Amino acid sequence: MSSVNTAHSVVEPSRTSKRIAATIVIAYAVITMIPLVWIVLTSFKSPPDSISYPPKIVFQPTLEGYCNLFTTRTRQTSEYITSLGAPTSTCDEITRSRNMVIAGPSNYWPRFQNSLVIAFGSTFLAVSLGTLAAYGFSRFKVPLAEDLLFFILSTRMMPPIAVAIPIYLMYRELGLSDTALGMILLYTAVNVSLAVWLLKGFIDEIPREYEEAAMIDGYTRMQAFFKVVLPQATTGIAATAIFCLIFAWNEYAFAVLLTSGAAQTAPPFIPTIIGEGGQDWPAVAAGTTIFVVPILVFTILLRKQLLRGITFGAVRK
Amino acid sequence: MTAQTPVPSKQKRPFFLRRGPMENIATGLIGLGFLMLFQPFLLIFYTWSLVTLLAGTLIFIIVSKFPE
Amino acid sequence: MPKFRKETQVTSVTDTSSSLLGKAANATPAPIASRIRGISDRSMAWLFITPAIVLLLAINIFPLIWAIYLSFTNFRANRPNAPIEGVGLSNYSRVLNDPNIWQAMQTTAHFVFWTILLQTLIGFSLAYLIDRKFRGHAFWTTVILVPMMLSPAVVGNFWRFLYQPQIGLFNYIVSFITGVPPSSFEMLGSVQLSPWAIIIVDTWMWTPYVMLICLAGLRSIPDYIYEAAEVDRASLWRQFWSITLPMALPFIMLAVLFRGIENFKMFDMVTLLTGGGPGSTTEVASITLKREAFESWRTGRASAFAIILFVAVFGLANIYVKALNKVKQR
Repeated sequence: MSSVNTAHSVVEPSRTSKRIAATIVIAYAVITMIPLVWIVLTSFKSPPDSISYPPKIVFQPTLEGYCNLFTTRTRQTSEYITSLGAPTSTCDEITRSRNMVIAGPSNYWPRFQNSLVIAFGSTFLAVSLGTLAAYGFSRFKVPLAEDLLFFILSTRMMPPIAVAIPIYLMYRELGLSDTALGMILLYTAVNVSLAVWLLKGFIDEIPREYEEAAMIDGYTRMQAFFKVVLPQATTGIAATAIFCLIFAWNEYAFAVLLTSGAAQTAPPFIPTIIGEGGQDWPAVAAGTTIFVVPILVFTILLRKQLLRGITFGAVRK
Repeated sequence: MTAQTPVPSKQKRPFFLRRGPMENIATGLIGLGFLMLFQPFLLIFYTWSLVTLLAGTLIFIIVSKFPE
Repeated sequence: MPKFRKETQVTSVTDTSSSLLGKAANATPAPIASRIRGISDRSMAWLFITPAIVLLLAINIFPLIWAIYLSFTNFRANRPNAPIEGVGLSNYSRVLNDPNIWQAMQTTAHFVFWTILLQTLIGFSLAYLIDRKFRGHAFWTTVILVPMMLSPAVVGNFWRFLYQPQIGLFNYIVSFITGVPPSSFEMLGSVQLSPWAIIIVDTWMWTPYVMLICLAGLRSIPDYIYEAAEVDRASLWRQFWSITLPMALPFIMLAVLFRGIENFKMFDMVTLLTGGGPGSTTEVASITLKREAFESWRTGRASAFAIILFVAVFGLANIYVKALNKVKQR
């Protein structure tokens, strides 16, 4: 993506063609960003502003969406509200201006925490198991290696709903439905295939002479793996981990079918945020913004490894 | 990758035991299965799409064990 | 595949001390010579690979086999205590003769066809333009890539807001450009428009994916080929059709196959945008399957349907891996 050193020397495009290309690409990029910018803008609007016609681009920013996202509120008479003392926080103030009082915290934060626990837990497991397996496939002669690798890849291609039916029954028997552990195991299983494929590519690139030298110096195979191979593979492991994290973070189908409360993650929860009289769009936008920002950061961090990740390591540059 | 040792001369292998052409046939069958699954014209094609897909996939898996 | 026979003769002497995994330690007191050949290398390999395989067997393969078994029974998950009876192939024949499921397949086909066509056209064009290497192309590429990293469910849900007839931004922009009143059409509520509503969101989200792979394809074409064409005074048009496109084709195929597999099983984005509606105009296969399995609770039949979808995806996955290997050789 960035600076690839294969400039077409003789066939360097002319300046006009470059200018035309730049115009079209930038126009596309701007259009493609509109929905995302709109999410962020909406999250700072008040509910009436968010549904005004024509759509408002200039408006008085407010934190109401974020307040509504994190709290549940009840409507009260104005006499009752004036009888309360001074508001203790900005959110308190905003809520009271709408003739409501904060009744308690909403479920967003627990759901967000579930997302964190499940995404990081499954990523850690998938990358650990994946690194071991990738090393095994890369350095040893494994019988039927190609078939095993295909089998591993094909498990990722299964339609989630098709897998969800037996998983649902199995988890019901084992008491894993709606538990974080169940979701972590499931996401680990889905991610381990990507981890094996990606990491095998990264480990293949580490010259095996390094380990051989270490082992001649008296290291065991395991020591060589931990002290020589792992440090060399750090970049690859980090990239793989981010890919696994993004998958687990974004996943919806399994989450909506297998969790309902205690272990529900944020993606099935955000669409259910409603206010008085229908969807509370500023709150939904606020929830979406908070949910999406980490991914934006990761995308920027990953941009050099992105291609490799989305092609299961087939395309390296 | 597979254990079979390649037959010395390719010419002697009959057509249906060579990997390249058989793999193309299998790919074709899978593609045909998809068309049958997706077409809006005749229910009977839809009914038999699974068998076609299954046949294509099985042939693909088997011939991928053959040498080139 | 690695050949490790020779090297291990030197090293495996020390394998015994690997205390990290108990199994390895226990399997060692045999004489060195026998360990070198058989046990140490092979068992080491399995030691590394087994944990991942076991997890996949437990969470992916065992449930799959269970689903195959259920697809031959009349089991219903909401009545777990009712006796389970084998029904032979009748679940399969019902699914494969059901006009509603056939209809869902065509809805899926429409969705898959148009999303892939649009994404390939736009994605390849963008890649071609970015390959002109104008100033700042790396930055704009990263900007374009953002949508595909986001959660289809969460962002798809927000598109519901953009598609609102009166207040939504999408309708407003369309009416601003075309002059059609913004409340005169409903992207999600109308039978004609709703299939296109999901195609638009999917194209918005996944065009960058196709673009990225096409870009890799274009960059894999060595300069000397273009130089030779230049010497032969081949026109740009000619160069495009006889060099650029054929050379990038394996990459385009890769992207098309992967998007095909993904969109064939599309669930999250469509569920949140339309939920299959209005009526069943956007009910793609996965949504029908979900309704059969988790709303009608006909588990046996739903399993048969799931297996059919799985066979289709598995067939494509075979071709996909073949395409992957082709691209890898470049």
